[in-house]
Amino acid sequence: MKLFELIRLVFINIMSNKSKGILTSLGIVVGSATIVLVIAVGQGGKLDVADQFKNLNAGAIEVTVGQSADTMMEQAMEMFSGGGGMPSGGGMPDMGGGGGMPSGGGMSGGGMPSGGGGGMPSGGGGGMSGGGGGGSSGAAMFGGNNVTLSTDDVNDILELVPDVESASLLASSEAAVSGGELDDETNYTVAGVQYDYVSISNLEIQYGDFFSEEENEEKSKVCVLGYTAAQEIFGSAYSAVGEVVTIEGKNYDVIGVLASMGTVSSGISPDTALFIPYNTASKYVFDSSVSPQITVVASDVNQVEQVMENIETVLTENHSGAAFTLSDAGSKMEAASSSANTLSMLLIAVAAIVFVVGGIGIMNVLFVTVKERTQEIGILKALGCRKREILLEFLAEANLISVFGGIVGVVAGFALIPVVELTGMRCEPVVMGGVLALVFAVVTGTIFGFYPAYKASRLMPIEALQQD
Amino acid sequence: MDELVIKLSDIHKSFQMGSEQLEVLKGISLDVKKGEFLAILGPSGSGKSTLMNVIGCMDHFDSGEYYLSDNAVHKMSDSKLTGLRNSQIGFIFQKYHLIGKYTVLQNVMMPLLIRGYSRKAAAEKAAERLERLGMGQRLDHRPNELSGGQQQRAAIARALVGEPALLLADEPTGALDSATGREVLDLFGKLHENGNTIVMITHDLNVAKHAQRIVRIVDGHLYENEE
Repeated sequence: MKLFELIRLVFINIMSNKSKGILTSLGIVVGSATIVLVIAVGQGGKLDVADQFKNLNAGAIEVTVGQSADTMMEQAMEMFSGGGGMPSGGGMPDMGGGGGMPSGGGMSGGGMPSGGGGGMPSGGGGGMSGGGGGGSSGAAMFGGNNVTLSTDDVNDILELVPDVESASLLASSEAAVSGGELDDETNYTVAGVQYDYVSISNLEIQYGDFFSEEENEEKSKVCVLGYTAAQEIFGSAYSAVGEVVTIEGKNYDVIGVLASMGTVSSGISPDTALFIPYNTASKYVFDSSVSPQITVVASDVNQVEQVMENIETVLTENHSGAAFTLSDAGSKMEAASSSANTLSMLLIAVAAIVFVVGGIGIMNVLFVTVKERTQEIGILKALGCRKREILLEFLAEANLISVFGGIVGVVAGFALIPVVELTGMRCEPVVMGGVLALVFAVVTGTIFGFYPAYKASRLMPIEALQQD
Repeated sequence: MDELVIKLSDIHKSFQMGSEQLEVLKGISLDVKKGEFLAILGPSGSGKSTLMNVIGCMDHFDSGEYYLSDNAVHKMSDSKLTGLRNSQIGFIFQKYHLIGKYTVLQNVMMPLLIRGYSRKAAAEKAAERLERLGMGQRLDHRPNELSGGQQQRAAIARALVGEPALLLADEPTGALDSATGREVLDLFGKLHENGNTIVMITHDLNVAKHAQRIVRIVDGHLYENEE
C-alpha cells in the first residue's frame, strides 16, 4: 500500500472515533504543555539570575574586612565534623552547653585573629544553633579590630598584584537626605565610590555625567542619583541634573542620573541610592562604623583565583592578624546559574515522567484498539495487507495521536505561560521548548505504540476472522 | 487439458487438541479448472472450514502439494502468501466482513490500495464494479446503513475488483433470507457465465445445487458427488 494512502486510512480511523483519540492524546497534551512551561520557567530563572547579577562584572572581586557569616559557618562546620572524627569523650563536649566548648584560640588556630575572644568557636555559647546571629556578631567583632581598608590598600593592590585592571574603594551607609520635592528628611543609601564604579558595576548614565577621580581627590560635593531616587526627590530623572540635594546637612550638586537597573541581588541597589565621591563621603557622611570594601577587577576572568590569593597576601601584610573576605562575582553567578540549571533539570525530569505516563496511556488504549479491531485486522490480512503495513498502520495511529497531542500541548503550554506568570514566577517562552515537546511526543508515541502495533501485525488472519 | 486454477494433491492437516492429535484433512486431492463453479458441501465439523482456509492461503497444512494458478503454495513464505491472496483470491464471507468505519466505496477500493494503486485509480475501478452490481447509489454509505443483501453485494464487488483467479465464498448466503440468498446465488451464476472461477463452501445442498460441480467433504475425505 502507498504510505500516503495508509496514513489517510489511519486518519479515517482516528476521525471515526474522535473522542477516543482526544482522550488518548490527553497524556501527551499534558506532557508537552509541561515541557513547554518547564523550559519557559527554567529560562525565566536563568534570565532572572542574569538580571540579578547584571551589576556585577564577571572579573570583579569584592574585598571586605572580616569574615562573612557564610565563611564562618563553613569553618564551624569543618571544626565540628573534625571533632566527630575524634574518639568520643572530652574532645566533643555538648554543643548546646555553651560554656562546654574549649576556648576559641585553641580550636581556631593561627589563621584566626585572636582578638575579641577568638571569634566563632567560643562565641555565642549556642554553638551551631546560633549560626546566623553568630555570624553577624562575628563581623561586628572584627569591625572592632579597627582594620579599615584605605586608599593605601587600593594603591598596594594596583601596584603589587598582577592582572588587576582596576581597584577602587566603596562604602555605603544610610544618610538623611532632603531637598527637591522631599517634604521631610528621608533616609537613603548613600554610597561613596570612585569614578570607575560605573564600569565595575555595569552601570549606565542616563543624564549628565559620573564624577571624576579629581572630584574624588578634591572631595567635591557632587552627587549622582539612582533613577528611582531621582524620581522620588525631583519628580523626574531628567529634571534632577543641575539641582542641589542635601545629604546630612550639606549641599551637593547633582551632576548625573543613572539609568534604571531593576532589582539586583547583591551590593548596593543602584536605583534607590545616591552616589558621591568616596573621599567626600568618608569626610562628611560616614562615621567610624562604616567599613569600606575594595572592588578589584581582574583583567583576565580566568586569573580571578590567583588575583584573589595575591590580594589576600598583600592585605594580610598591610594589616597583620586581620581576616578578609574575598568573593568574586563569577563564582556567585556560577553558583546561582547552576542552581537555576538544577531546577530546570528537575523540572524536565518531572515532564519526562508525565510523558512516560502519557505513553503508557497510549499503549493501553492501543492494546484495547487492537483487541477491538481484531476482525478488521483479519479482513485486511485476508485481502493481502502485509505485516509491515499493519505494523505501520498502528504505529502511525499512535504517532498521529501523539503529534496531535503534542501540538495541542505546545499551544496550551505557551498559552498558559501568562497564567503561570501570575504566580510571580518568571517565564520566558522558548521556541526550543516547543520543538523539544513535539520531539518527545513523537518519540513517546513511537516507543509505546510499537508493542501493540507489533502484536496486531502478528495476528493470524483466520484467528482474527473467527473472532466476533 | 484445461488450465487448472487449483491443484491440491494429498493435503493433510491436523490440529493438536490437548494431548490428542486431531486429523482434520486426511489426504485431500482436488483439481479446479479455470471457469469452473464448484461447491464444496459438508456438514459442520467435516473439515470444510479448514479446507477453505487452506485453499484461501490463510492457513498452513502439514503435507501435500498445492498449486494456485501455477504458484507452489506449499513452498511459500507467509509474506508471499499474503501477496498471493491479494492478487489471486477474492474472498466472500458469510458475515460479509466489510470494515464498518469505511464507506462502501472505500471498502471495495481496499484490495487495490493494498496492491499499490493510487486512490484515484482504485476509486474509479471500485465505483465501476459497484455500479455493475447495482450498488452505484450506495458508494458513500457505510455498511451498517445497508441491508444484508446489499452488504453481500458490496463484499462481492470487493472480491471481484482485483480480478482474481479465484472467487472463494464461505457460506455466502448463510446470513441472508432465502429470497436475498437466491439473488446472490443468481449473481454467482452470472459471474460464472462471465468466466469467473468460483469455489463456494456450504453445508446446504440447495445452495450447492446452484454450482456446476459439487464435491462432498466428509470426515476429512473429499468425494466427487455422483448423482
